[in-house]
Amino acid sequence: MADIEIKNLHKEFGVGDDKVVALEDVNLQLGGHVFVSIVGPSGCGKSTLLNILSGIETPTSGVVNITQSGHEAAPGYVFQAARLLPWRTVMDNLLFVQKDKSDETRARCQHYLEMVQLGDKGSKFPGELSGGMQQRVGIARAFSIEPDVLFMDEPFSHLDAITARSLRTELHAMWADTKKTIIFVTHDVGEAVELSDRILVFAKGGRLEDDINIDLPFPRDPSDEKVAIAKASVLRKFEELDLVVS
Amino acid sequence: MTTHTAPRKTSPRRHTTQAPLIVRFVKSPKFARFLFPWAVLVFWLIGNKLIQDSWDFDSSVLATPREVWDFMWAEITNDTVAPDNVYRTFGISLRRLGVGFAIAMFLGTLIGLGMGLSKAINAFFHDWVMALLAMPALAWALFLSLIFGFDNRGPTIAVILAGIPFVIVNIREGVRSTPRELFDMSGAFNVPRAKTVRHVLLPSLFPFMFAAARYAFSIGWKGLVIAELFGGQDGAGWTMKFWYDAHRLHGVIGYSMFFVILALFIENVVLEPISRRVFKWRPALTGPDVVEEEFQHELDVASGAGTL
Amino acid sequence: MGVSATIEVETSTPQRTTSEERAIRARRKDFAVRWIWRLLGYVVVLGLWEWASGTVLEENLLPGPSRVFETTFDLIDQGSIVESFRATLTRIGIAITISFFLGAILGILTQNAWLRGFFKDAITIGLTAPGLIWVLITAIVFGNRWYGPLIAIVLTTFALVSVNVAEGIGSLPKDTLDMARAFGVSLFNRNRHIVIPHLAPFLFTGLRFCFSIGWKVTVLTEIFSSSSGIGFEMRIAQTLFRQDELITWILLFFLFALFLEKVVLQFFENRFFRWRKDIATA
Repeated sequence: MADIEIKNLHKEFGVGDDKVVALEDVNLQLGGHVFVSIVGPSGCGKSTLLNILSGIETPTSGVVNITQSGHEAAPGYVFQAARLLPWRTVMDNLLFVQKDKSDETRARCQHYLEMVQLGDKGSKFPGELSGGMQQRVGIARAFSIEPDVLFMDEPFSHLDAITARSLRTELHAMWADTKKTIIFVTHDVGEAVELSDRILVFAKGGRLEDDINIDLPFPRDPSDEKVAIAKASVLRKFEELDLVVS
Repeated sequence: MTTHTAPRKTSPRRHTTQAPLIVRFVKSPKFARFLFPWAVLVFWLIGNKLIQDSWDFDSSVLATPREVWDFMWAEITNDTVAPDNVYRTFGISLRRLGVGFAIAMFLGTLIGLGMGLSKAINAFFHDWVMALLAMPALAWALFLSLIFGFDNRGPTIAVILAGIPFVIVNIREGVRSTPRELFDMSGAFNVPRAKTVRHVLLPSLFPFMFAAARYAFSIGWKGLVIAELFGGQDGAGWTMKFWYDAHRLHGVIGYSMFFVILALFIENVVLEPISRRVFKWRPALTGPDVVEEEFQHELDVASGAGTL
Repeated sequence: MGVSATIEVETSTPQRTTSEERAIRARRKDFAVRWIWRLLGYVVVLGLWEWASGTVLEENLLPGPSRVFETTFDLIDQGSIVESFRATLTRIGIAITISFFLGAILGILTQNAWLRGFFKDAITIGLTAPGLIWVLITAIVFGNRWYGPLIAIVLTTFALVSVNVAEGIGSLPKDTLDMARAFGVSLFNRNRHIVIPHLAPFLFTGLRFCFSIGWKVTVLTEIFSSSSGIGFEMRIAQTLFRQDELITWILLFFLFALFLEKVVLQFFENRFFRWRKDIATA
C-alpha cells in the first residue's frame, strides 16, 4: 500500500481565453488499505488528478508525495478503454508490463488471469474477446505487477450494467485479498458508495468540495437498506453542492 | 376446446416449391461468372466477323481466339519467335521490379517517416509528393528512355519514381496514426523505451508498411512495363512492343493476358493471404483509414485501376 | 523501507499576458516554419534540377526549368499548343462521357446478383489491366481511326466508374427510403430528396477517377494512334530527339490536368457537397 500526500496541487491547460483550470488548489492525504473513489461531473478534473498521480501528466504547481511500502515503483493503472496491444496475445499483454519474462513472472500472470476468470484465454488476441473480457484483462494486467497503488479511471463505464456489476464484485474481492490502495474514478455515485471507504467529491473547475467516509461493512449488497440510505445521503450532498451527476 | 388439424396431403413432386437443381444452378451467380468467358469468346468471334465484313479493314490484322491460344501455348512450351521466351522476359522484368521496389520502399520509408515526424520536412516535400502521385508513368518512361536509351537503369528508375510517392504517403500516415493511448499506457506502467518501440511503435507501423508495399508493387509493375516498352531491349514491356511492331495482334493480346494473369496471381494468391495471416488480430485492416484528402484521391485511383 | 516518489513543482502561476503572447508567438512561428520550408522545397528542387541540367547530364538530355520555360513560349509562337490541347481535351471529354455512361449502366446492372456474377471478371480485368494493353490492342486493330483511342480510354476507365456507382446504389439508405414511403412521399420526391443527393457524391467521385485516369490514357493512346493532340506531339518530339519539347509538352499538360483536378473539380466538390463531412477538405 501507499501513502499519498497532495499539497496545493494546481493544474491548468492553455492560455488566455482558452485557459482551462483542471484542478484548483487540491489538498489531500490518503493511504493504507483503502478504496477511495473520486466522484464528480465531467470536467471536474478527476482524470487529470489520476494522470498526475500516476505520472502521465505533470502539475502546473504544487507537491505530490507518494510513499510506497512495497518494492514496485510503478502504479497499476486501469483505463476506461482497456488499452491492450491488439497485436499481442492476452498473456503477452500482461508480460509486456512486467520486468522480466521468467517462469515465476509467467506463473504470476497466469494466476491473475485466473483471478479474473480468464485463465484459459491467455493465447487469444484482444480482438477475439468481448469488451467485458478485455476490461478484465486490463484489471489482471494492473494487478499482476503487484503494485502498491492502483489507479482506475472509470473502468466500468463502457460496459453494460450486468457485466459491470459482476466485475465490481470481482474487483472488490481482489482488493480485499491484497493490501492495496485503490483510487477509483467514477461518475456513478452508486458505484462509489458500493465499493469505497471514502468518497472525494470534486466539482467542475477542479475543486475538492467534499470528503465523505462510508462506514458500512463489506461486502455491500446494493439491495441492502443501509447501502441505499448511504447512496441517498451522498446524492443529497451533491444536490446541496448543486452538482449534476448521473 | 377445439383443435384444428390441417388435412394432411401427400404432395406430389410437381408441387414442390423449390425449382429443380439444374434451374437453380443456371440462376446462380456462380454460373453467370462461368458463363462470362464464353460470352466473351462469342462476342470476339462476332466482332472479328463484323470487322472483316466491313470493307475498310485489313483483316489480316485481326486475331482469332484460336491464334491467341496457340500463341500462348507456344510461349509456355518455350517455342517462340521472339528473342526471349516468356519465362525469361518476365524474369527480367520481375528482377527489375524487385530492385526498384526495394529502393522505393527504403527511400520512401525514410522520407515518409521524416514527413510524419517533422512539420518542416512535411512542408518541404508535400507539394512534390502530390505532384509525383499524379504524374503518369508514361512521362517517366519517355523522359528516361531519351536519357538512358536501352539501358537496364531506365525501367528500374521508372519503378522507383512511380512507386515512391505511394510509399511516402502510406508511411507518413502510419506515423501520424500511432496509437497515443497505447503509448500513454506504456508510460503509465513505466515500460522501458526500447520495449515500447519494439512492441508498440513497430507493430503499429507495420500495416502501413504493408499497404505501402502493395501500392509500390502494383504501380511499379505498370510503370515498368511502359518504361520497357519505350526504352528497353528486353523484358515483358519490350516484348510487347516487339509483337506490336510486328503487327501481330495475337502476340500483343497473348502477352497482355500473361501480364494480367501474373498480376492477378500475385495480388490474390500471394499478397492477399499474407496480408490476412499477418493481420489476423485485425482482419479488416488493409491500409490507412484516414489520409489527407488530396493524397487519398490518388491512392484510390491507384488501388482501383491500372494507372499509367 | 519502501519506495518513495515525489513529484514537486513549485512554480508561481505565470503572468497572463506573457503566456498569451507566448501562445500567439508559437502559432505565428508554426505558420512561418511551414511556409519557409515549403518555399525551400521549391527552391531546392528547381535549383537542383536547373543545376543538374548542364552538369550532371547535358542540356539536351535533361533540360532545366529555364529551358522548359523558353520552349513553352516557342511552342506558343508556333501555335501548336492551343490546337493540341483542344484535340486532346475533346477526346478526353467524349471518352469520359461514354465511359461514365457505360460505367453507370454497369453499376446499376450489378445490383442484380446474377449479373454481378456475370460481370465480375470483366470488372476485375478492367481494374487490373493497365491502359497500355488496351492502347496497343486498339492501335493494331483500329490503326489511326478516330474511335480507336476512344475505345482504349473507355476500356481503361469504365470499371472504376461502375464500382463507384455500384457502391453508391448499394449503400442507399433503405431506412430513410422506407420512412419516406411510410409518410407517403411520392417517387419523384423520394428520388429528388433522397436518392439523388445520396448518389451524387459517388457519381462525382467516379467522374474524378475517370478524369484522373482518363487524361493519362488519352495521352498514351495519342502517342500510338493519332495525328493530333498532346501525345502525338510528344511522339514527334521523341522521334526527333527533342527532349526539351517532349518534357515541355508533358509538363504543360500535366500541370493543366493537375489544375483541372485540384482546382476546378475541387471547387465544384466544395460547393455542392459541403454537407458531406467525409468529402470535407481543409
